Amino acid sequence: MFEEEVVAAPPGAAGETVPATAAPSASVASPAALGAALAASALLAACGGGGGGDGSGGGSAGPSGAGSLAPLANTSTAAGYMYTSAKSDAEAARFLNQAQGYATDGDIAAVRSLGYLPWLAGQFDAAPTQGGWDWFNGRPDRANLGFDNMIWAQLMASPDAARKRMALALSEIFVVSGNDIQNMASFPHHVMAGYWDTLVAGVTGNFRNLLEAVSLNPGMGYYLNTKGNQKENNQGRQPDENYAREVMQLMTIGLVQLDSKGQPRTAADGSKLDSYTQDDVTNLARVFTGYDLNVAAGEENASVSTNWTARPMALFPARHSTLAANFLGASVPAGTDGKAALKTALDTLHAHPNVGPFIGKQLIQRLVTSNPSPDYVGRVTSVFENNGAGVRGDMRSVFAAVLLDNEARSPAGLSDANFGRLREPMLRLVQWGRTFGISSAVGSWGIGNTSDSASSLGQSPLRSPSVFNFFRPGYVPPSTAMAGSGMVAPEFQLVNETSVGGYLNFMQGRLPVTAGFNSKDVIASYASEKNLVLDASALVDRLNLLLCAGQLSKASTDLMKSALATPALTAASSDTNKMNRVYAAVLMVMGCPEYLVQK
Amino acid sequence: MHYIDPKGQSRRAFLRRSGALAMAGTAMPFALSLSAMSEAAAQSATDYKALVCVFLYGGCDYSNTVIPYDDASYNQYSTIRVPQASGGIAIPKDALLAATALSPTTALPGGRQFALHPQMTALKGLFDAGTAAVQLNVGPLVVPLSRALYNNSNKRLYPVPPKLFSHNDQQSTWQSSSPEGSTIGWGGNIGDLVLGQNSNSLFTCISVSGNAVFLSGDSALQYQVSTGGAVKINSVSGTGSVFGSSTVKAAMAQLAQQARSHSLENEYNKVTKRAVDAEGQVTGAIGSAYAAGTFPTTGLGRQLEMVARLIRGRNALGSKRQVFFVSMGGFDLHDNLIANQGPLLKQLSDALSSFQTTMAAEGLGDKVTAFTASDFGRTLASNGDGTDHGWGNHHFVVGGAVNGKQLYGYAPPVSINNDSRQAGYEGHVGQGRLIPTTSVDQYGATMGKWFGLNDAQLAEILPNLRNFGTSLTVNETAGGSVIYDYPKDVGFMKPA
Repeated sequence: MFEEEVVAAPPGAAGETVPATAAPSASVASPAALGAALAASALLAACGGGGGGDGSGGGSAGPSGAGSLAPLANTSTAAGYMYTSAKSDAEAARFLNQAQGYATDGDIAAVRSLGYLPWLAGQFDAAPTQGGWDWFNGRPDRANLGFDNMIWAQLMASPDAARKRMALALSEIFVVSGNDIQNMASFPHHVMAGYWDTLVAGVTGNFRNLLEAVSLNPGMGYYLNTKGNQKENNQGRQPDENYAREVMQLMTIGLVQLDSKGQPRTAADGSKLDSYTQDDVTNLARVFTGYDLNVAAGEENASVSTNWTARPMALFPARHSTLAANFLGASVPAGTDGKAALKTALDTLHAHPNVGPFIGKQLIQRLVTSNPSPDYVGRVTSVFENNGAGVRGDMRSVFAAVLLDNEARSPAGLSDANFGRLREPMLRLVQWGRTFGISSAVGSWGIGNTSDSASSLGQSPLRSPSVFNFFRPGYVPPSTAMAGSGMVAPEFQLVNETSVGGYLNFMQGRLPVTAGFNSKDVIASYASEKNLVLDASALVDRLNLLLCAGQLSKASTDLMKSALATPALTAASSDTNKMNRVYAAVLMVMGCPEYLVQK
Repeated sequence: MHYIDPKGQSRRAFLRRSGALAMAGTAMPFALSLSAMSEAAAQSATDYKALVCVFLYGGCDYSNTVIPYDDASYNQYSTIRVPQASGGIAIPKDALLAATALSPTTALPGGRQFALHPQMTALKGLFDAGTAAVQLNVGPLVVPLSRALYNNSNKRLYPVPPKLFSHNDQQSTWQSSSPEGSTIGWGGNIGDLVLGQNSNSLFTCISVSGNAVFLSGDSALQYQVSTGGAVKINSVSGTGSVFGSSTVKAAMAQLAQQARSHSLENEYNKVTKRAVDAEGQVTGAIGSAYAAGTFPTTGLGRQLEMVARLIRGRNALGSKRQVFFVSMGGFDLHDNLIANQGPLLKQLSDALSSFQTTMAAEGLGDKVTAFTASDFGRTLASNGDGTDHGWGNHHFVVGGAVNGKQLYGYAPPVSINNDSRQAGYEGHVGQGRLIPTTSVDQYGATMGKWFGLNDAQLAEILPNLRNFGTSLTVNETAGGSVIYDYPKDVGFMKPA
């Protein structure tokens, strides 16, 4: 969606503006009803407790006001939400597939019972479950495991799935790739786990805290060279510019000045206005000098103790540049101490008007649709800027604004030929596992590196090929209708004649319980599906609901049902034949373009 | 079969596209005679030619790849980068470096000399054999620029390429003359102009790396194969059964390939259909792998081996003119430049050498030209153990049609001086980030001309080429003035 025709009341017009669209099938929440829902979520918040980060810090609730979603009710944005509860299992599944990447019978019932926002508030307010660092460090067999085990365990088995799904989205903006860390760091798997925990904490924290936690994380220190970064010297040595550049280009403000709806600001001649210059990079780089691993006294060194992997990097003042640094209109005077300089830098980035639309649009793209309307971006921006309690950067509210927006929830998206996003290959695998009861008998989650595009998924969590993620938010697939109509399709950067087959062959090989991963240690159970195996129609309908939120067309489900009729099955058929029918049904759904494009 | 951005450069696109149509034998209006007169169109194409782009992702450091070697330049380099023995990143001038010092047929002016990185012995062998050349200081330019012009506020007269120093944007700019979001690359445009000579146009532009805009033209598509060849989709291709059911396989084939009304669904299925349609022909054409040891077992070695197998199978593929894309990563060395760059350059050097040797053995030594490209060069200044994002860079052109054993372009200053009153101010924009003295358009045009494109076609596919073919006089306050020429044909290719 890149035009503005089917969305809801504009911000600021709550309670008085009739939406431009025809009356939706869902009920329109009155502000009072929404307030009641939000109050319910506040109650849930009180029950759930705040919870702290584990291992790596990075900010739980706290004075920033990043607590429950209750303040969102004060915003005109939230007052415009027209779809507050699921009117069908399919609507609940659609919401769940966006919010946590999969849907189960129990989740669907919970969403239908609670409504979208209270369910979401409950997810955010629930105490965080075991993090990646604790999981990895607690494995007695960790010498034989790696961060792949850690991340698959987190994605496939954590009870707080929505939080982990959103953290995975953050990992595609704040990229640290284990591909490189494993060649750089002592204890690379601890480092990756600690970084992952930082992102998980960021889901329910404040953007400013997340930015600081990411900036000082040793994984990011290794990846973008803040670790060991030294001040200039009189021989011409310069501070390393890598983090200073990429934190602006990729993690906060982007290359181009944006309005609140994410549209580029232009000069009189129509050219887009740059957000920063090389001088800004060179100056900001001075702020990120002087940091290194925080190995405490008595811990020998970084190759003996793992404790530093869960701590922010430490500032070593002698290596910190004390030159003046002027960037983005802010000034760090000469001689400023490193801690104060960092505060100025991160405060400046956090306050930049680009952050809301830049981060908000990417979160929409990761969770909902590749081409959100400018108004949708604008509504998320307004929540980023003020969560209703005067707090900027409250990530819970930002995620909620992404998921509760009318453009995400409206049925209009289901009949819009350009709405939605290509499901990422790694998310397809997680969805498959979560939907069909995956487990790891020994608990090590040996799914491994799924990066190979010819024989696997062509994507593996926390293994981006570079800091530019697996794909760019502005990627336009050449020689396509999208290119002709000005649309982007980020995930298509992974799509080619090799990867489409690699994915299908991989799934075909891994679906059976006689295959799975790690010598059949990691397999799905298909417990509910087995019960439907003699009723191909019911089986396909169930998969359509859970995997596709009912988005398969009748033509497609009819084709699948008909295909599954051969070979015929009876109660007396072999288990092999019965399970083959389940696998065939799953493969057809997961190979169907109506599944692959999530709407 | 494709869509044109309505606000894009439609005239250029139209001309390029009609050129391709003309060559495919379509009726040709008078206005299209331009394309029809092209050498490419006129050729009966009894021979075979290929261009191979070797993209070095991350931005290869220029001054530790092609190292200043004459004493004066080396000493400046070593002072700025600090000798390795003192913890710096200047490669020592020792016997190893002497072994890769270049002795070109024509010496560079001013006594300038260069050596390849000491691990690039294989490429040094190609250089000495006359099948490799060095293009000095090449990068994106809209118009010729000095530092004064780069700083000139009149960007209408002196435009600077957008989004300099940004990885993704400069990758895109090298490949397509525009930053990220671009959908038409000059490799693909070359493909547009020659695809009529191939019996299956899909095999005109082939990537053995990931998706790269370089190979996407107006008509030409990027076709992708893995280092193992084309992937057969077991649940879709051919006959047989899936999980014991032939009807399921038939349904899969339909679901995964049928036309869809949703734009994303439709494009996804189009890729799958292309993959299925092409797989059998490709698998048959590429035959078995080369004997062990023919190519290095590195990522680039395996990619170039697949290119070689595709070229070996050119008759089975019906291909006369092809453009390939391969790549390697890891060059973004803000840290550990000394430890990490050498092994990468050795991989590059060894793979290029094996590829050239193999092409010669196939009788195509002078029919296939490989060239390097990269995001950008890097700073000359050190950040301690690495370097930062720059602009101009040194690159390599390899093949029997190359006027080898030569360095082309201009040796850049070895300076990080920012004081306009002193020598070494011009030629870089700070910290030794080079202002290119040869544009990517000139670099591409030189190869495009060898490939058979005429001047008008080159002007259509390399949008800034019209701004070159000129000279620029750069006045150094502390030096004299220097005249830089920007020829549309840099001269590193032999006549087609």
